[in-house]
Amino acid sequence: MAHVILDSVRKTYPNGYKAVHGADFNISDGEFIVLVGPSGCGKSTLLRMIAGLEDVTDGEIIIGDTVVNDVDPARRDIAMVFQNYALYPHMTVRQNMAYGLKNQRMSKDAIAERITEAAKTLRLEEFLERKPGQLSGGQRQRVAMGRAIVRNPKVFLFDEPLSNLDAKLRTQLRAELKALHKRLSGTFVYVTHDQVEAMSLADRIIIMSAGQVEQIGTPMDLYLQPASRFVADFIGSPSMNMLQGTIGADGHTVDMGNESTLRFAAPIDAQPGTKVDVGIRPEHLQATSSSAAQFGLTVDFIEQLGADTVVHGKLTGQTDPLTLRLTGVHSIATGESFSLHSALENIHLFDSATGKRLN
Amino acid sequence: MADIQTNSAASTVRRPRSKPIRWGLIGNHAILITGSLFMLLPVLLAFFTSTHTDVTIHKEGVQFFFGSEGGSNYHDAMFKKGGFSQNVDGARMMVNSLILGLGFAVGKIIISMMAAYAIVYFRFRFGTFAFWIIFTTLLLPLEVRILPSYEVVQSLGMLNTYSGLIIPLIASATGTFFFRQFFRSVPEELLEAARIDGAGPFKFFVDILFPLSQTMIAAIFIIMFVFGWNQYLWPTLMTTDESMFTLVRGVKQIMQAWVGGGNDIPEYSGAMALAILAMAPPIAIVIFFQNWFVKGLTESDK
Amino acid sequence: MKKVQFSRPLFPYLLLVPQLSIIMIFFYWPAAEAIRASFYLEDPFGFGSTFVGLDNYRDTLSGSEYGRVAWFTLIFTTLVAFFSLAIALLLAVKADTVLRGARSYRVALMWVYAIAPPVAGLMAILLFDQRLGPFTHMAQFFGWDFTLGVNYWDTATAMVIVSVWKQIPINFIFFLAGLQSIPRSVREAALIDNPNGLSRFFSVTFPLLAPTGFFLLIINITYALFDTFGVVDLIHKGEPGNNPVTLVYKVFLDGFRGGDLGGSSAQSVILMVLVLILTVVQFRFMERRVHYN
Repeated sequence: MAHVILDSVRKTYPNGYKAVHGADFNISDGEFIVLVGPSGCGKSTLLRMIAGLEDVTDGEIIIGDTVVNDVDPARRDIAMVFQNYALYPHMTVRQNMAYGLKNQRMSKDAIAERITEAAKTLRLEEFLERKPGQLSGGQRQRVAMGRAIVRNPKVFLFDEPLSNLDAKLRTQLRAELKALHKRLSGTFVYVTHDQVEAMSLADRIIIMSAGQVEQIGTPMDLYLQPASRFVADFIGSPSMNMLQGTIGADGHTVDMGNESTLRFAAPIDAQPGTKVDVGIRPEHLQATSSSAAQFGLTVDFIEQLGADTVVHGKLTGQTDPLTLRLTGVHSIATGESFSLHSALENIHLFDSATGKRLN
Repeated sequence: MADIQTNSAASTVRRPRSKPIRWGLIGNHAILITGSLFMLLPVLLAFFTSTHTDVTIHKEGVQFFFGSEGGSNYHDAMFKKGGFSQNVDGARMMVNSLILGLGFAVGKIIISMMAAYAIVYFRFRFGTFAFWIIFTTLLLPLEVRILPSYEVVQSLGMLNTYSGLIIPLIASATGTFFFRQFFRSVPEELLEAARIDGAGPFKFFVDILFPLSQTMIAAIFIIMFVFGWNQYLWPTLMTTDESMFTLVRGVKQIMQAWVGGGNDIPEYSGAMALAILAMAPPIAIVIFFQNWFVKGLTESDK
Repeated sequence: MKKVQFSRPLFPYLLLVPQLSIIMIFFYWPAAEAIRASFYLEDPFGFGSTFVGLDNYRDTLSGSEYGRVAWFTLIFTTLVAFFSLAIALLLAVKADTVLRGARSYRVALMWVYAIAPPVAGLMAILLFDQRLGPFTHMAQFFGWDFTLGVNYWDTATAMVIVSVWKQIPINFIFFLAGLQSIPRSVREAALIDNPNGLSRFFSVTFPLLAPTGFFLLIINITYALFDTFGVVDLIHKGEPGNNPVTLVYKVFLDGFRGGDLGGSSAQSVILMVLVLILTVVQFRFMERRVHYN
């Protein structure tokens, strides 16, 4: 087991495209790290650089206590699980798992032992003599994981391993992955574009956008204290409401227009008159009496999800969309109005120009 | 009760009368059968004719039924020494055809697989340059540079040799192009997984790429074998020694004997028997391996 | 190319050596030699040669013989390409529609691919024989006194028929593959939108087949120009004199029979340019097609 350190790692492709602008972070031994972000944000490139499948343009990658920039992928002591599984179609499951070990010149008995153990962990015993073409998507995914496990690597790398599976299987395999991590206590680096996957799996999440690391933190850090409007928008579903406001003259207030003002205890880190985005999660808004109201909502339509009711509407008298999430079943008619309130600690302020967090 | 209700409802539904005769379908089959006969009849007539005596053919023309001379005609076509030098027979020519077809197909596959592997899977200086050097050859068929090619082979002393017959035909990139297309369609992750599994270029080729290419190799083999077997112009120029003639090359000799035969009755049946012998092996291969053959043709030519 | 590649100092070059050396010796050297020879006049007795600039080209292009052959080649190519494409398309569309016997039809229509053009030519000599051939009898029945090898246009007719016959299978295979690659959902949508089969074919199927058709057109032109050599060589029964020949055949005649090395080379170079244009057109088009996809 080992920790992974990325020291100002950059990637520029030969055609001049900058995929990663400088990634700096430490992954501790045994940690489950999820790299998350929209497609094209550089997360896969980063993972592939750790794997050794892409050259590092600048900076250093350290696995354990070795700088691995110029180390062959097979000698980095890593294993990787691919999105489309990348199983060798002409080999049986057993041969697929054995191939890497055979190339390490491991003895036949040792290989067989490891395969038996991995197959037991992943419930693959009865499929060992089949070829990938005869397996279902979920089974293939487990074989791909088995191929990683038998190597007993320092670091496991996962490149969107669940995205080719259907929703139900994805949830199931998510749980299995989590359990696997506990069991193997290895270092996991996991790439996904799915924020739910990131939230449910990660010890810490690294969220990326356009080649930059936006924030690193535990899932709850990201949820409760998003460092930027991008993070706020990306984490959570339905996404955070963003309303327009202006910093008041005394530096403690945000003028929301419409005669409502939010007053914060701590001073806001911005010049009076700065335009800000005021972010509030749909689940943090509550219906309230009109005296305590901070916002009004006029209902457009609602989604009944059973456990929750999601109300879509507009800020009363304006065109800004506003979403409200209520627990339980409610019957609400189109055109109805609500007075809404949110606790100040659940209100996030972002600079409209830079997107940086202000409070 | 529900049954009765649905029945009564159904009785008000408009139903088209009886099933119409499907003239369109009959027409389709008629066209296809006509087309198939158009393809088949010439060969069938040639085959029937090859089973009669030359005298019968000379008197009655092309034959529409089996004759009684099939056995002896084909025996003669295979084993009767003929030609200018009287030392070449059909069997000898068939062996030559086989050597040309197999040598060409095998040589082409080995050489073009190697080249395609280098081009697709390696990053190296002059890689793009090599690519263009190779693929420019797709532009010019052998026919337009036939005379200088002949001179080159002549100056290398390769006239009337198998290598002179085969190697110049390999000097085109069709095979390399096939394999390049195929290699590019192999999922990239397989190479990545193999690299993580510790496979170098040689291991990757032997353990992964070659097994994956087997169908493709079979398909290309069939196409190339037929192509090699059917070569005409090049063998015609290259081989003056009759013991080096292929069946397809021999066809010209037959024609010349036929035309220049003076007042003798031409050897119609022998000629047709030789034609049938010259086409039978490639036809058998194409029909027998039709799925591979069609796949090879249509999937790589894009 | 692949995103991830091996980088080894020597290995790729070793892999390329066989292919490159064969190409250098048997492709670039002869091709360069053809271009060089086209600017020289070879002494007929083999005593050296003199540089004559573009004289060979001028002589070739101004000769009435060359014009005649070029005209014939154009007509021949057009007829062969048109008929073999049209017949193959009809058959492919029908073979794609029928369910019963589809496989047998496919085999019946494609096996002729394996027959060498000169072998087809040899059969044709018998089948079109003035006295013995059933085709000749049929023509005579309609009052056409068909004389293969004697009458210029009769010989040309036989050449076209044999060349078309030889080329139908490959066109058929590609058209059928093209038809089968049209997504089922598109066909079904068309079936619902348009009840008229013929109009459905021309408004939906035909445009979707256009890329295949264009690709085949180039293939067929190349075939008619070059691969019909064996057919041409056999059908005029060794007497090219007053019978039709194609441009490629003339290169061969002038070079090997006539001993006119310079003129033959000049013709080769002209053909090279022609093929070059065809190929560039094809690549251009294919690139665009890839782009659209």
